[in-house]
Amino acid sequence: MSHPEPVPLISLRHVGLAYANPLTRFAPAKDGRVHALHDVSFDVFEGDKLGIIGRNGSGKSTLMRILARIYDPDAGSVHFTRKIHLQMLSLGVGFEGTLTGRENAVLNGMLLGKSRAHMLGRLESIKEFSELGDFFEMPVATYSSGMVLRLGFSVAMETDPDVLLIDEVLGVGDASFARKSQDALVARFSSRLTVIMISHDPGVISKFCNRAVWIEQGRTKMDGLPVEVAAAYLQASNGG
Amino acid sequence: MPPAIINFSRHCNIVFYRALAGVKAESRQNYLGYFWYLLEPVLSTVILYLAFSKVMNRGGADYVMFLLVGLTTWQWYEGACLQAAVSLKAKLHILQHFDLPKFLFPLVSVLVSTWKFFCVTGVVVTSLMVIGHRPGLNYLSLPAIFGCELLLILSVAVPLAVIVTYVNDAMTLATSSFRILFFVSGIFFDTDKVPEAQRVWFYANPIAGIIESFRNVLLKDLPPNWPVLLRGAGQSAIILALGLWLCHHVNRRIMKHVAP
Repeated sequence: MSHPEPVPLISLRHVGLAYANPLTRFAPAKDGRVHALHDVSFDVFEGDKLGIIGRNGSGKSTLMRILARIYDPDAGSVHFTRKIHLQMLSLGVGFEGTLTGRENAVLNGMLLGKSRAHMLGRLESIKEFSELGDFFEMPVATYSSGMVLRLGFSVAMETDPDVLLIDEVLGVGDASFARKSQDALVARFSSRLTVIMISHDPGVISKFCNRAVWIEQGRTKMDGLPVEVAAAYLQASNGG
Repeated sequence: MPPAIINFSRHCNIVFYRALAGVKAESRQNYLGYFWYLLEPVLSTVILYLAFSKVMNRGGADYVMFLLVGLTTWQWYEGACLQAAVSLKAKLHILQHFDLPKFLFPLVSVLVSTWKFFCVTGVVVTSLMVIGHRPGLNYLSLPAIFGCELLLILSVAVPLAVIVTYVNDAMTLATSSFRILFFVSGIFFDTDKVPEAQRVWFYANPIAGIIESFRNVLLKDLPPNWPVLLRGAGQSAIILALGLWLCHHVNRRIMKHVAP
């Protein structure tokens, strides 16, 4: 008996995107645009731990923003099989200095796509995980940068997305919190959660992912097992 | 609960929390904090009173209140629109990370300005009572006038925020336009001073009818100028609908075009 073909959660086909050049934004021809992606295609399946590897400027972050629905692609298509909650791991972005840690935790969770009720129910876990103590009731403007990252990370761990998008970040804060936050992320990699991580470190991709896609100059160069993709990427990087 | 309602409620809460942050930030930026809400229109009133009481051959407490009502109404309009105009551009770094409707950011600025307006209006109405203006039945029409001005503000603020994000020059144009409108909106002169033949142009500026209506109710115990008010509300609703369409149209394009 043959197994049915698994249906991808997300399908990208021939995706292309160009940024407007501020100097030629209103010019009739679109020649001045900066092409970040030319032709990227791959599938993401439920529970995948997909690593996207590529050099600086290869289009990884642009791809991440297309997946997070911040940009529509200019060419090709991105198809989501069902309505899913995607979340970029953006630590501390959108925090308001005048609001307390508690208020910012609710606000940030809502920016990440969760309801106020959901966030109110998770506040004690966020407070505990962040180890902010009494600072949780203080304005975020009084926090050190490490404390902001701790709060941001703790909020992100309580938003239960269907797909987590990680841009290089694996651990934040001082040594002990970095270990704790890395453990929390590794636990996500061991769960059924779908994770897409971008990195230019082949070691990280090989260690944490079950699939890898190599993006080169805005095009899919290779899609396969992390060890094979990482080896090919390393060889190309070393001029082989 | 349907996802659309959950999302709507989430967006309302985001606007509320960000507006709360805006109100707190405004009060902490200055030593006088919330007192500036009142001090700002009072100072403008004093300046205008000194400048125009001789020209208009008017004076006394009534002219002070006449100016104060006009200025309070105007400052809500101008403050909300100009702050909202830069609200989207100022938050591009947030929009690089979250998929949010773009109209949320001008809404936050409008909500902060509306809160200020309520605080000042409360003080103005109390002052009017102290000097002998008793609230009449026409006070019941205040929410409608307030609603018309809010609609007008939103109809300017929402599209302007998108346009300024694309074309910075639009901000200079908007600031200059507000400077001109300040002198032709009937802030320091009464509508009956406008020649009959010019009235149609005078009322083409919707804030003029709103200022007149607020004064009718608060100072003269007269009904608002309903025809002008309702025509302005209709125009504002159409422009706001276009503004919301514009926000929807650029929602996942704007960051590609103006990425910080």
